[in-house]
Amino acid sequence: MGILPDEIKPAMQGVIPSHVVTCSRDGAPNATSISQVYYVDPDHVALSHQFFNKTVRNVRENPRAVVWVISPETFDAWDLEVEYDHSETSGPVFEAMDMQIEAIASIVGMKGIFKLRAADIYRVISVTKNVDERIPLPDIDEPAGRR
Amino acid sequence: MTAEGADSPGLREQIARNQQTIDRLNRDLERKSDQVRIIQQISSEITSTLDLDQVLEIVLRATERVLGFQHSMILLKDLAEDTLRLFASRGYDPTGVGAEVAFGEGVIGVVAERKRMMRVGSLGAGIAYITSIRARLEAAGEVAPAGAAAKLPGLPKAQSQLALPLLVKDRLVGVLAVESPKPNAFDELDEILLRIVGNQAATAIDNARTYQMVEKLSRLKRFFSPQLAELILTGGADDPLKTHRREVTVAFLDLRGFTAFAETSEPEEVMGVLREYHADMGKLILEHEGTLERFTGDGMMIFFNDPVPVPNPAERAVRMALAMRDRVAALLGRWRKRGYELDLGVGIAQGYATIGAIGFEGRWDYGAIGTVTNLAARLCGEAKPGQILIALRVAGEVEDLIEAEEVGPLALKGLAKPVPAFNVVRLKGRV
Repeated sequence: MGILPDEIKPAMQGVIPSHVVTCSRDGAPNATSISQVYYVDPDHVALSHQFFNKTVRNVRENPRAVVWVISPETFDAWDLEVEYDHSETSGPVFEAMDMQIEAIASIVGMKGIFKLRAADIYRVISVTKNVDERIPLPDIDEPAGRR
Repeated sequence: MTAEGADSPGLREQIARNQQTIDRLNRDLERKSDQVRIIQQISSEITSTLDLDQVLEIVLRATERVLGFQHSMILLKDLAEDTLRLFASRGYDPTGVGAEVAFGEGVIGVVAERKRMMRVGSLGAGIAYITSIRARLEAAGEVAPAGAAAKLPGLPKAQSQLALPLLVKDRLVGVLAVESPKPNAFDELDEILLRIVGNQAATAIDNARTYQMVEKLSRLKRFFSPQLAELILTGGADDPLKTHRREVTVAFLDLRGFTAFAETSEPEEVMGVLREYHADMGKLILEHEGTLERFTGDGMMIFFNDPVPVPNPAERAVRMALAMRDRVAALLGRWRKRGYELDLGVGIAQGYATIGAIGFEGRWDYGAIGTVTNLAARLCGEAKPGQILIALRVAGEVEDLIEAEEVGPLALKGLAKPVPAFNVVRLKGRV
């Protein structure tokens, strides 16, 4: 029994951008939005490594990160505590991500320029459905004076 | 917070959510078993026909009715190149049948290239994301601007696509794709179901296509050499049965004295002579890569440079005619001993002709129409026993090659002015 619930899958299709927060070795935080967090299995997610950016550099120094994903169907938001595990440049996960990137890149004439260098695999440590951070919807059941 | 008990909003919410999950799972299960049952029906339907259009129709109807996908298409791999062509679609207007997708282009092209299924739920977001990065790179001068977007068949604003390679023993037959304007329209269950349909479809489509090819091949083999028929079928040559216009060299030949011979001889003797003559001429036609357009008794029409363009068609025609004359001379020795007075006459002309299938359903012939065929036929008619008469255009092409004598100008039926003509004596350098 893995840690990721089935209902999180729609949030990992790239419909709504996700966010990832990392920290450098000396503690400088970095938050960035990314196009998609990929579901690997109930205990792992993958992030695409296309350009050498701060996220890629930070997790190699300091593997802990927090990822925030949103379901486009329910607007539920989840916080995932993750830990960078390893990087893959072949195999089914890499290929699935690479295919998708290549397909979309070819549509906008960026084939070959926009390439997947690696699939960075993260182990999921915890999942929190973050009801409070949900995009606000009218909530008539909200008890008065709850805060 | 235990005091709140079962009335706790958190707990109520949790119970409601659990119920939702159970409902969803039940719905999924129902959908799945329903679909598996119907898919079994399709499998018997799909294998009951060898008609490609019908097979494609059954597959698309099934993806709509059974799986509920409203926009679906089947692209088949070109037999010669790494390209896909749209063969059938459902839920599109206009259909766009015939549209091409190169391997590696878009979701469908990449699926064909990698031979792996792909499910994308956020095409719009993905495109917007890469476009914005592109703009940044362009601004920084890191990529060249432009790079035209590929024009692909399908919904103009598809958000979700699920594309499945149709494989028969790891050989790509085509791609079955469904799409939706809604994001995240397809899930893992859809993948499983589409794969079931697709596995059956791949084999059925492959069989239907093979059958179609065998039929077409047998039709083509009536007109063309087996090698050429194969070439046409695999797309290495255009389908010559489609009407087209091209410059060709046309050779007509017949046997002088044949009519008289046929009148005074037994039919068995006539057939015996024709058989020998056809067999030997046929070999020489193939050797010189000529196309035999037709036989009529002792007459034959052969052309060069179609359906497959050849270098120096005039030279080939003349060389073939000379070889035929030599061959007939050998046959003549035997024929004369039996008292047959026969000899070969040939006419060769070059020019534009309209070429294609002529006839009606069930009896198609491959034919060329144009002044060039008329001219060649008339020259053949004028040729004395053993003569090879060539038109001016042909003579110009082979003048360095042959010794010829002028015999014209000849007044020919169907031609307004007398035309110059030359008799080919021999190849230069031969005695």
